[in-house]
Amino acid sequence: MIRKTAAVWAGKATGTLSRITRRGGGTTLPGDVARAIDPKILTELASDLTHGSIVITGTNGKTTTARIVSWLLEGAGHRVVSNRAGANLIFGATAAALNRAGANGTLKADWGVFEIDEASLPRAIKEIQPRATLVMNLFRDQLDRYGELESIAKKIEQALNDMSENATAVLNADDPRVAEIGLDLKRKPLWYGLEDERVASKTLPHAADARTCPRCGASLIFEAVYVGHDGVYRCPNHDFARPQPDIKATDIELHGFDSLAMTVEGTRIEMPLGGLYNCYNVLASFAAACSLGLDAKYVAERLKTFKAAFGRQERIDFRGRHLILVLSKNPAGFNEALRTAVELARGENFIIGLNDRKADGTDVSWIWDVDFEQLQNRAQTVIPAGVRAYDLTVRLKYAAVNAKEPQTDPGKALDELVRSTSEGDTAYVLCTYTAMLDIRAELVRRGWAQPYWET
Amino acid sequence: MSSNQKFTIGWLYSDLMNIYGDRGNVLTLARRAEWRGLDPKVIELGRGAGEDLNDVDVFFFGGGQDREQALIYDDLRRYKQDSLQKQVQDGAQILAVCGGYQLLGHYYQTAEGERFDGIGMLDVRTEAGKKRFIGDVVVQTAIEDLTPSTLVGFENHSGRTFLGDQAKPLGKVLHGRGNNGSDRTEGAVQGNIIGTYMHGSLLPKNPHLADHIIGRALRRRGVASLSHLDDSAELAAHGWILQRAQRG
Repeated sequence: MIRKTAAVWAGKATGTLSRITRRGGGTTLPGDVARAIDPKILTELASDLTHGSIVITGTNGKTTTARIVSWLLEGAGHRVVSNRAGANLIFGATAAALNRAGANGTLKADWGVFEIDEASLPRAIKEIQPRATLVMNLFRDQLDRYGELESIAKKIEQALNDMSENATAVLNADDPRVAEIGLDLKRKPLWYGLEDERVASKTLPHAADARTCPRCGASLIFEAVYVGHDGVYRCPNHDFARPQPDIKATDIELHGFDSLAMTVEGTRIEMPLGGLYNCYNVLASFAAACSLGLDAKYVAERLKTFKAAFGRQERIDFRGRHLILVLSKNPAGFNEALRTAVELARGENFIIGLNDRKADGTDVSWIWDVDFEQLQNRAQTVIPAGVRAYDLTVRLKYAAVNAKEPQTDPGKALDELVRSTSEGDTAYVLCTYTAMLDIRAELVRRGWAQPYWET
Repeated sequence: MSSNQKFTIGWLYSDLMNIYGDRGNVLTLARRAEWRGLDPKVIELGRGAGEDLNDVDVFFFGGGQDREQALIYDDLRRYKQDSLQKQVQDGAQILAVCGGYQLLGHYYQTAEGERFDGIGMLDVRTEAGKKRFIGDVVVQTAIEDLTPSTLVGFENHSGRTFLGDQAKPLGKVLHGRGNNGSDRTEGAVQGNIIGTYMHGSLLPKNPHLADHIIGRALRRRGVASLSHLDDSAELAAHGWILQRAQRG
């Protein structure tokens, strides 16, 4: 207990120091410090929660989904602790818990909502002992860091089996890789999925990974493709098929980046978020909320007033132009952001930002899997930005997209965007993680946006 | 050059062996042919028999994850090996990256000593290594008359590949690890086949290598030389990697 209190104090002091010295949001370092003093600190703090925790993982959508789940729990009068700033390693979760711990070292909250990076999930489940774990999707992402999808899927399956008896796995039935994990679990998971062929395509994008049956190796037949390789699929030899969802979304309506609507198990949901990928995030949140005991009618009402997280469809007005910031960090995410911006929102002005720092992934070859061809003859202005703007320029050239000069300086990229966007018009900023931080830092420096840990 | 001269790219297992942005290589070959007034066509060569490989000018063979690699292993030997050998003898070119490179060699030996035979078209052998080599690669290429004389890419592999007498290195490693991290060689060239660990994608940032492959493939079709293209964007991306490598 003394050790726990000491760890909490040291961690909290580090967080304050890092915010004062403006070295960032103090989102992970405090966790590092506290864990060095008491390695079991996260387990101890998580057991202080009066109701328990939910852990959220997947390649895409975990930040938005964690934010929605927190929003729902808070609206129902619960005190929620969550790692909000996209700090999704075990240190980030620890730091979030520390931040809310009192002087006596006790965490004073009802629920923990933790978004956890796929590779850190086994450790997080072991330490946090959640009541529910939500696995959203598994796409190719940051190959340099993770090795390959296969090994991660196996580790996640093991971790889900290691959850306590009364914990629920909430899984996306539409993702073949997630289904493969869930079909052999000891306890039956809660499956969710989309069911609306009007918003589906029939063909897989090039970037799809889960194309083959995990049992016999035959190429899967997709009857509907929603996002990446997520859709309705079956093995031609009847060895594997999409699990029947327990919670389904139907009658989907999409209105650009402005809003979406869908019916989930008889409840009509409207949401101020755009894009088909957000249908998955909202549906996942709904399924998770139900598994935690929230009422469907309440959920639908509360969702109407949701506000997006940092860089996830964040809206900023900049010198009379409306900027929409969309974090896009891998082929599946980028394709959906482009599809929403070009097809649904009819966007014409873009900054595409690519960095290759550790948090972005140091291997940028994935840009060749993104269908930038979607911008052909539709975008007026495309500005390649970020550390690897030169690579983006080549990618856009081979996609037959007319791009401006590459701008490695975020300020120059923004200036160029303002020059080529008329006053009152909307421009889209699609960037990898640290490229988005760089653009945002520049907007903060010019007084157009708030620092991210205050949003 | 007649305007309807066909240029056919055979993409081996495009659905399964495509992990490291390999589409960039295929796209670069196709676009650069198109910009020269050729009529490019990409044939995706999936599992099973059926496709006619006779018209293929350049084969591309990329890398895959372990599961996918296991799924194409038998198919490659059963349905593709013989016709690949015949086409290459007739002057078709092959570019193989990472997993594709290893499978064209004699064998891949796992850490436990188990050997998986490749199709032996390249005189190279690969053994599993402990540490993954991940990062930028710059090589001084051994191919004559390439300007610039450097090739740049990104490597991410744990296999250690060693060259036999028939294969010559694609280049000498100036930055990064290359074939095995010990002999400073990267890739292999043997007749009409190039194998390499460099992706990134490789050809978009190395347009001179792309043209070298296209040019060799078209020679048998009676095309003597390729017209000049403005490669300033490609070479700027190439130069950026060179500069970063020099900074260390």
